[in-house]
Amino acid sequence: MALDGISPEARLPTGFLRGLALPLGLLTLWELSSHSGLFNQQFLPPLEKVASTAWREWTNGELLSDLIVSLRRDLTGFAIGTGIGIAVGLALGLSRTFDKIFTRWFNGLKQIALLAWIPLISIWFGFDEAAKIVFVALAAAIPVILNIVEGIRLTSQKSIEVGEVFKFNRRQVIVLIYLPSALPSILTGVHLALIYSWLATIGAEYFMAAGPGIGGLVIAGRERFEMDLVLLGIVVLGVVGFALDRLASWLEHRLVPWRRP
Amino acid sequence: MTSELTIARSIGRNVLQARGSDALADWFRRLWRGALPLLWGLVFPAIVLPIWFAGTYWGWLPQQILPTPSEVWSTLLDMLRSGELKMHTTISLLRVVYGFAAGTAVGLALGAAMGLSRRVDDYVRPLFTAIAQVPALAWIPLAMLFLGIGETLKIVVIAKAAFVPVVMNTSAGIRNVPLEFAEVGDTFKFSAWQKLRLVVLPGAIPSIFTGLRYGLTHAWIALVSVELVASSEGLGYLLVWGRQMFWLDTVLVAMIVIGLVGFATDKLLAKIEQHLQRWRIHGA
Amino acid sequence: MSGHLDVQHVSKRFQVDGKPIEALSDISLSIQPGEFVSIVGPSGCGKSTLLRLLAGLDRGFEGNILHDGKPIVGTSLDRGIVFQEPRLFPWATVRHNIGLGLQNAPIGRTQKEEMIEAHVRLVGLQGFERAYPHQLSGGMAQRAAIARGLVNRPQILLLDEPFGALDAMTRGKMQIELQQIWAHEKITMVLVTHDVDEAVFLGDRVIVLAPRPGRISRIFEVTTRRPRQRTDDDLIHVRNEILLALEAQEPKPSPLARSTGDLIERPAA
Repeated sequence: MALDGISPEARLPTGFLRGLALPLGLLTLWELSSHSGLFNQQFLPPLEKVASTAWREWTNGELLSDLIVSLRRDLTGFAIGTGIGIAVGLALGLSRTFDKIFTRWFNGLKQIALLAWIPLISIWFGFDEAAKIVFVALAAAIPVILNIVEGIRLTSQKSIEVGEVFKFNRRQVIVLIYLPSALPSILTGVHLALIYSWLATIGAEYFMAAGPGIGGLVIAGRERFEMDLVLLGIVVLGVVGFALDRLASWLEHRLVPWRRP
Repeated sequence: MTSELTIARSIGRNVLQARGSDALADWFRRLWRGALPLLWGLVFPAIVLPIWFAGTYWGWLPQQILPTPSEVWSTLLDMLRSGELKMHTTISLLRVVYGFAAGTAVGLALGAAMGLSRRVDDYVRPLFTAIAQVPALAWIPLAMLFLGIGETLKIVVIAKAAFVPVVMNTSAGIRNVPLEFAEVGDTFKFSAWQKLRLVVLPGAIPSIFTGLRYGLTHAWIALVSVELVASSEGLGYLLVWGRQMFWLDTVLVAMIVIGLVGFATDKLLAKIEQHLQRWRIHGA
Repeated sequence: MSGHLDVQHVSKRFQVDGKPIEALSDISLSIQPGEFVSIVGPSGCGKSTLLRLLAGLDRGFEGNILHDGKPIVGTSLDRGIVFQEPRLFPWATVRHNIGLGLQNAPIGRTQKEEMIEAHVRLVGLQGFERAYPHQLSGGMAQRAAIARGLVNRPQILLLDEPFGALDAMTRGKMQIELQQIWAHEKITMVLVTHDVDEAVFLGDRVIVLAPRPGRISRIFEVTTRRPRQRTDDDLIHVRNEILLALEAQEPKPSPLARSTGDLIERPAA
């Protein structure tokens, strides 16, 4: 609980203003430091430079094409990964045999930090599009699998008993009881997959180098010591991540309205 | 396979029946039941390993893409024996530990402040959310400019990665402690400090630990990222080096070690969590 | 004499959706030391609100509430309270939970241990000191809450529908136990309940509140000697009177339509 006893009604306008304080303060500090001459302007570009770079990249179409390339990778990998994840997740959750054979290995493999797979993937698939998409798919599949298995596991024993009373066959039990019951968890998994695949897209672009994309933008900026490009890339990255997260939440809310937000 | 098991079982049963020993049968049954999951676990490698061996023997794929299992094994042993593996592992592990400790310390403090005071939350949350949206990976170029490529960079990046989930879960956990419990404290004239120590913190521990475990996972990922980019030793460096030299066996060894050590650290946290939460309903 | 509660012309208003609601209106009551007072009334009559004011958990009321002549300011270790949910801390054992009541008590460690032990015995939870709340049944948890409410030896114990969440049989047992505890401790007790039988079984007086606005409607004296039996004629008589009084407070229910035919107009044939 919050112990400082501020009434919720009073908070709304003041809360908003307070929230602006720190970001505005930081931006001001940045601006001042940049112009102060204490730092090399290449390392600490003034905000107007970042803004003008952003404008330039937008109007010459570079930013947009980078964004589209990244998003296309992201969504392709996401779709493949989610598809595979749902299939594997359902198999692990619904089939005792599958579970007994594969779950331990899956749990073991998931311990390996995601980015550690990049070298392996780059050896097997090279550095081009296919490799990046494989990595993104991997990043998407993992949370989907984990959440589906969890969702199925949490299906209430009571609901299953009702199915027994009405003599449901295996297919009916799966379709009418397990799946609807696991639906919220599946959606959570897909939501997380959306977030992680975006992060993986950036990671893939960053480490598998070369080529257009937001990650590529950041690398280019770093190599050319153009901090404004790096910053631009980071900001775009964050904004897209935020937007995707919000989109996923909204979809989740629409599809599973009975859940508390 | 099933029929062989059945036969073995019936033989065993007959033998024991012939001996007429009940306790032995019981022991045998328990042993069997304990070993069963292990046997199931071996099915997967039992299928994959022969295929792997066959593949490398008949050269289905170039050796660079698929080294023989024996190569991977001997590389593992070599690296163990030469102490190389131990050195890299220790370096990486220490980085994770320091970064995790730093990120967690700051994260717990900030998370607690945000959970306890709506005012602090108002000021900090928007900026925090913005920072949280940007993965540790993307901070690396920025951080490199200010911190160079030394140890500080790595610790800071790892700390940032751990910091985010710790703050989120700590503040949520504290905020979610029901008001009813604080009222009980009121009836016993608890001071604010007592309320914090005796009511809020114990109630928030489950969430705090969830945050810690996510923080650890993210810390490992951040470690690998930063070592992939800017390091000359450590497990991430092994990955890069192995990839550059196309020594897949080295890469695989490094991956396995990363997995194992990550698993061990997570298990350690889980054990601590379990110890502190003996009061929870089993299975909850 | 200690444990005397004086409620003088107390009123309390709440804001609900921007409109003020009068939860309590001009309540005046004097509770004698060692008395057991039951408060009954339908939902919305403000009985829980009144109890929380007596405890000092809520403020912002008009009028005065005096404990032994001194106006109450916030909570006090001299006024113990038992809530409807046991509100035991799930992360602490029974002993530790009861002990938390003594957190700010000005007594030494050994004395605290003795108090805890004594109160565990008082509520019959010996052997369960090291149990965690999730391991206890509803009745046991509530007993632990009562022990915690009493561990400071308060002059007054306030109980807010303490047995409401228990099944009927456990409730009956707990009422008998509470009666015994009261006889043993000889402190003032104020019990809020919606169960008229419970109110009559336990109380020296039964205060009936009426809702909207919350006010005292009638006060009944229960003079039956203790230990009481539920089958006592006097008790049943008082209880019936109270039930009639409560019914009289209710607005008359509208007559039920006997079939949907009464509600749906038939089209002209």
